[in-house]
Amino acid sequence: MKEQWRYLITNDFSAAKNMAIDRAVLVANSEGKVPPTVRFYTWSPPAISIGYFQSLSEEVDLEKCKKLGIEYVRRITGGGAVFHEEELTYSIIIPESHSEIPKNIMDSYARICGAVMKGLKNLEIDSSYAPINDILSGGKKISGNAQTRKMKTVLQHGTVLMDVDVEKMFSVLRVPNEKIKDKMISDVKQRVTSVKHLLDHSISFEKAADAMKKGFEEEFDIELVSGELTDYELELANKFEKECFANSEWNHKR
Amino acid sequence: MNSKSIYKIPNGKLLKISLEYDENKNTVSNVKITGDFFAYPEESIETLEDELKNMQLKKEVLLKKINSIIKTNNITFIGVNAEGLTEGLLRCLQ
Repeated sequence: MKEQWRYLITNDFSAAKNMAIDRAVLVANSEGKVPPTVRFYTWSPPAISIGYFQSLSEEVDLEKCKKLGIEYVRRITGGGAVFHEEELTYSIIIPESHSEIPKNIMDSYARICGAVMKGLKNLEIDSSYAPINDILSGGKKISGNAQTRKMKTVLQHGTVLMDVDVEKMFSVLRVPNEKIKDKMISDVKQRVTSVKHLLDHSISFEKAADAMKKGFEEEFDIELVSGELTDYELELANKFEKECFANSEWNHKR
Repeated sequence: MNSKSIYKIPNGKLLKISLEYDENKNTVSNVKITGDFFAYPEESIETLEDELKNMQLKKEVLLKKINSIIKTNNITFIGVNAEGLTEGLLRCLQ
């Protein structure tokens, strides 16, 4: 019998709640209270997440966010700023000691990205892993990924772009030089793609999640079993949301 | 003096350093290391920033110090390295 991992779908949470849930599952898994978990989710309202090491005020136009109703949050993972709107976001939480997870960090990025690529393949999209943390299709970025390891547990989360509005994205991201903003926008349009663009039509979140779920099952030779967050995880998530991700001290700390 | 640098690490990430330094002594007063790189454990970036205080802004000194902080704190950097951090710091002086 195949090893069973937990499968979670949590749609339309706020940025702070989404990041709090990933951290709560990380803690619960590190304490042996929940099995390895694969979670798919969306963001509502749309949000920008920034990497742990980024400066919030340098990366994000906070006034513009407020005006447009776009949230922002600092992640516990490194990496860059991401505009989350039309996308499927995944997270995987699993003990560092699990036999399916390479000890080497770069190798484990490649392995987990392999699951995302198999998921894309199930949508008839060919893709390739582009180290450090991107997945490309037709030479353009379709997925960005970020991993942390805490309490002997791996958390990797990442995006699968379903559709992309580069103008909107740049309306809230700050660029070092306003004069070259138009050039940057056209560069990013050249470098980024989406499921909708590649298939020539949009597909539902459910369909994308189903393809991705199978991708994770194939890559890790496991069965994903639908589950729910435990009461303990919900309690932790509330705590992390309040104390950390919805807290301006955390979001502005760099 | 306050100064900033933006440095794209060769084959790596975009490093943005904000440096406050003593011009007479040529030493670090305060430094903030930001960017889209990865470091494990993440909190070690604050240790690195603290330990760089009062260091001479000289290539060999910085490189040696950063390498020693990486070793002592068992830091794994991805997308940035000791050479890149040193270069980013020194570019703040230009």
